[in-house]
Amino acid sequence: MDIRKQVPDIKGVLGMNNGGQIKSGRHKPFLTNSRKEAITAYLCLIPAFLGLSMISYIPTLSAFVLSLFKWNGMTSPEFIGFDNYKEMFTIDIYFTDSLKATLVYAFLAVIGSMIYSLFIAILLNMNIPARPLWRSIFFVPYMLPAIGVYTTWRWLYELNYGLFNHINRMLGLPPVKYLESPKNVLPSLALIAVWCAGNLIVIFLAGLQNVPGVYQEAAEIDGANSWQRFWYITIPYMSPIIFYNLLMALIINLQVVTPALAITNGGPQNASMFMSYLIYRYAFTKYKIGYAAAYAAIFFVLVGIFTAILFATSKYWLFYEEEGGK
Amino acid sequence: MIKRKIAILLAAIVMLSLITLSACDGTNKDVPSTGTTGTESSGGTSADERIRITYAQWGNETETAACQAVADKFNAQQDKIYVEVLKIDYDNYIAKLNTMATAGELPDTAIMSEAGVLTFAKNGLLYDISEMYEENEAKPLDCITFKNNGTPVAYSAANEVLNIWYNIDLLKEVCEKQGLDINQFTPPAKAEDAWSWDEFVRVAQTLTIDVNGRNALDPNFDPNNVDIYGCCVNILPWQLEVWCLSNGGGFFNKDGTECIINQPEAVEALQAIADLSLKYHCAPPVSTAATALSTSLGTEKIVMATDGAWNVGTYLGPDANFEYGVGVLPYFKEKVTICTGGPNVVFATTKHPEEAMTWLKWYYQEENSWDLIENGTWMPILESWYTNSELTDKWINNKNYPEAGMYKSAVVDYAFNNAVSTAWYYVSGTDVFNAALDTAMSYVWTGDMTAREAINKYYDELNRIFLENN
Amino acid sequence: MEGSVNNTYTIKSSFFKSKQRREKIVNGIAFVFVVIFAAAVLLPLWWIIRSSLMSNGVLYSYPPSFIPYEWMVSNYSKTLETFKYWTYFKNTFTIIIPAVTFGTITAIFCGYAFARLRFKGKKLIFTLCVGTILLPGMVTLIPLYIFWTKIVGLGGTYWPLILPFLTGGGFFNIYLIRQFMTTVPKEIDESAEIDGASRMCILWSILVPNIKPAITVVILMLFIQLWNDLLQQLIYINDMNKITFAIALTNFTGSFGTKWNLAMAATCMVIAPGIIIYLIGQKSFVEGIVLTGIKT
Repeated sequence: MDIRKQVPDIKGVLGMNNGGQIKSGRHKPFLTNSRKEAITAYLCLIPAFLGLSMISYIPTLSAFVLSLFKWNGMTSPEFIGFDNYKEMFTIDIYFTDSLKATLVYAFLAVIGSMIYSLFIAILLNMNIPARPLWRSIFFVPYMLPAIGVYTTWRWLYELNYGLFNHINRMLGLPPVKYLESPKNVLPSLALIAVWCAGNLIVIFLAGLQNVPGVYQEAAEIDGANSWQRFWYITIPYMSPIIFYNLLMALIINLQVVTPALAITNGGPQNASMFMSYLIYRYAFTKYKIGYAAAYAAIFFVLVGIFTAILFATSKYWLFYEEEGGK
Repeated sequence: MIKRKIAILLAAIVMLSLITLSACDGTNKDVPSTGTTGTESSGGTSADERIRITYAQWGNETETAACQAVADKFNAQQDKIYVEVLKIDYDNYIAKLNTMATAGELPDTAIMSEAGVLTFAKNGLLYDISEMYEENEAKPLDCITFKNNGTPVAYSAANEVLNIWYNIDLLKEVCEKQGLDINQFTPPAKAEDAWSWDEFVRVAQTLTIDVNGRNALDPNFDPNNVDIYGCCVNILPWQLEVWCLSNGGGFFNKDGTECIINQPEAVEALQAIADLSLKYHCAPPVSTAATALSTSLGTEKIVMATDGAWNVGTYLGPDANFEYGVGVLPYFKEKVTICTGGPNVVFATTKHPEEAMTWLKWYYQEENSWDLIENGTWMPILESWYTNSELTDKWINNKNYPEAGMYKSAVVDYAFNNAVSTAWYYVSGTDVFNAALDTAMSYVWTGDMTAREAINKYYDELNRIFLENN
Repeated sequence: MEGSVNNTYTIKSSFFKSKQRREKIVNGIAFVFVVIFAAAVLLPLWWIIRSSLMSNGVLYSYPPSFIPYEWMVSNYSKTLETFKYWTYFKNTFTIIIPAVTFGTITAIFCGYAFARLRFKGKKLIFTLCVGTILLPGMVTLIPLYIFWTKIVGLGGTYWPLILPFLTGGGFFNIYLIRQFMTTVPKEIDESAEIDGASRMCILWSILVPNIKPAITVVILMLFIQLWNDLLQQLIYINDMNKITFAIALTNFTGSFGTKWNLAMAATCMVIAPGIIIYLIGQKSFVEGIVLTGIKT
């Protein structure tokens, strides 16, 4: 099929001739067009830049500084250099468990919610009866407050008296330790994250809607079937959206804390001792704010690495002209 | 066209900003500065010159309402002090309090979680309340007094002890089914009649029946298809301490100088709890159901369960669909229960310690927190309520309570004669310790490790936490 | 159209006599899947609703019942005795309206700068923006609390909850706008530029209408983020008369047990406005669907 090649060509023609063409237009001695463009950009970015540095970078930096201190938040901090990091890598029994829990959970939740939400979005984008109703149903879990979500799921998963195991028993199956077994707890919690992925569905829906009809029609005239149209036109056009959802799902799921807080307390056997939950524990219940900050620093690097990998690989599969971000 | 659109947009932005500003201005006017100085609540008048103190608490909606009612009553009597109640979510209480402590914005006084008190005290954040009661005044019970190096730093607002609670309807049903004499299987209400652990296990096994109607002592009993379980022991780490104490051990030694959870007494007791479901099949496999009466007895498939006395007011009295009874805990070597209760503290940062103490002292008088005592949530903290039969009658002859004679011996006398302090009254960092113990025990509940193996694996960590905090 | 089908497809097209028929079958299958998945999604939702209609006593009884034994609609009136719905409603919206409005507008500006404009330091600023999402919010909780209460002196007001949203509500919203703008063909704004339209004109009259679904998503996400954000609101709001829905929901939990039936009733009531906002917002999706519906 030549449709695949055809589409990038169209985009290429649209995208490439940006800067040159404008410059050739007028001549201005001081405020050149590109300078004006830059000024507009800086003006656009001022609020965000100021805000993000104030509410994000200054506290983040202070967290890094704190990681060099022994501080319980009450008495005055004591400088101890890299001792916090040393403790983390040597005697901390939770470090490896938390690393494992965070990565496994993020992997399950990201893969699960991406597949689920793209699939549902495609279904909901088709011509089915009562579409608004179905859309609302899939979106509602995302709106629910965490306290309602996790309490309910805890009841459903309960080993002896929960609904799921009641159904298992009625079907003659042995009860499953959804939350009590270290093997099952992460898939069980990831399923809740998938269930809550209504926001991803909505973003995918918005993206599906933005796929220009022109190319679809052109491809249809060329005789592409709906699967080919989906694979060669919809998916490439959706790739910025897919990338966005992937990035968001990855970061949010790496930073997961609520399921541990609300259901498992990091157990059983540390299987759900997520790193950000551990940071919470150290900072707010163990009075080791400096140590928690050291964890946060390591966590920052970890999430940074994954984000960087995602951005780096995006070059190979992301489908749009990008002259800025990189 | 385009310009008009921009104009509309700008107008919209300006309007919204104005709405916002007016809304936020409103906030500012109402709240000159919240936190240390307090806000005007509906009860106060604007020309009020009384000293304002804030009292933070974490109750649910009934407790908050009750607490507010008490504060209103106090405020109505007082011409010098005005108490403002600050409600903080229970699950995030420590997070918020720590954040406030770090910023130096603590309230004047508060009810705290038990485990946090000594940590705060050791860091100099608690005001010394030893002068709150005169030498000859009636003080709260000694076992609910928090002590930092021997000096009192806080008293619990209420007394709570652990007991065994049972579903009488279900007990009758199980006994009838098997043709048993119900009296032999009713948990004893007097400490002197308390079941030994082996007796308890045997009773629980007899009361456990599978779907075929066989009990757990029957060789053909089917542990995978149990209909009714005989017992369910609460596995919250702080509650596990009682079994270690009963077996002559404990989490820590009596003066809180050593962590002895790795001693055979403690390990044996912990193993015995796990064996209830792993070996004897008389308790359900450990799950989240085992952390509250509402989820254990509440299933109406469990005959007996252990938990604290507050359940009379929060669950058993108002909500339970069955007739319930209360008995004393079974014992290994010593007939013992543990007592606890949310502590009221005065923060060292307060500018009005005298007023804060006046308020707390007033609040400690049972008649002032009567609502919570009357409905069974709180037990009184002053000795006289346990020793003076007139007061005891006033306390337990209320409609929420079970049969008075039973409650009197199983809870009142038991609490007065057999209760010892939970470790957090004299050991700091128990919340962290308990969290680590919870992890260790999760290996035991599943049967992946014996209690000995799990405690050995985690003893270094547990002991390190203990040493770091004490 | 059928005439242009090449040989490879003749077999298939004979399978499905007409395009409409094929479409009908595909949609039918899709519908079956939607119903199955919706049923699975609805199960926990139903569990919340049925729990809100039961007494606390039967909530845990085994076997669990799908349908309340006795429909306790009175739970809702009981909840409202302590749950001052309209006060919380007003408080929540006092925060949400400015935060969502300014958050969306600034996100559009920033997204535009990253999607369309070329300037020095773009890569650096973009990377810095990415950096802001690498740390979970609770790490910066204490430094920020000190910043807002001690340095700026806004403790006890709603400002610490609103002002951060002047930054586009965080990187994710900026990036969403940017991603959607990149899917709009540049040809469109270039032709407008040649016609002499200023950049702001292009942004607001050409790009923004083209990414309306994305803007709807940003509004929805900001709305729900604020609606459910417990930790931040809890830290900054002390006064019982100033609390929001997120905080009010925690009022049912306590150290001595929780009235879960009432908490679930409150949960059901709290999500109602969210559903209404969503139904309004999804109009922008419906519009788009109608357009694509013509051509597939």
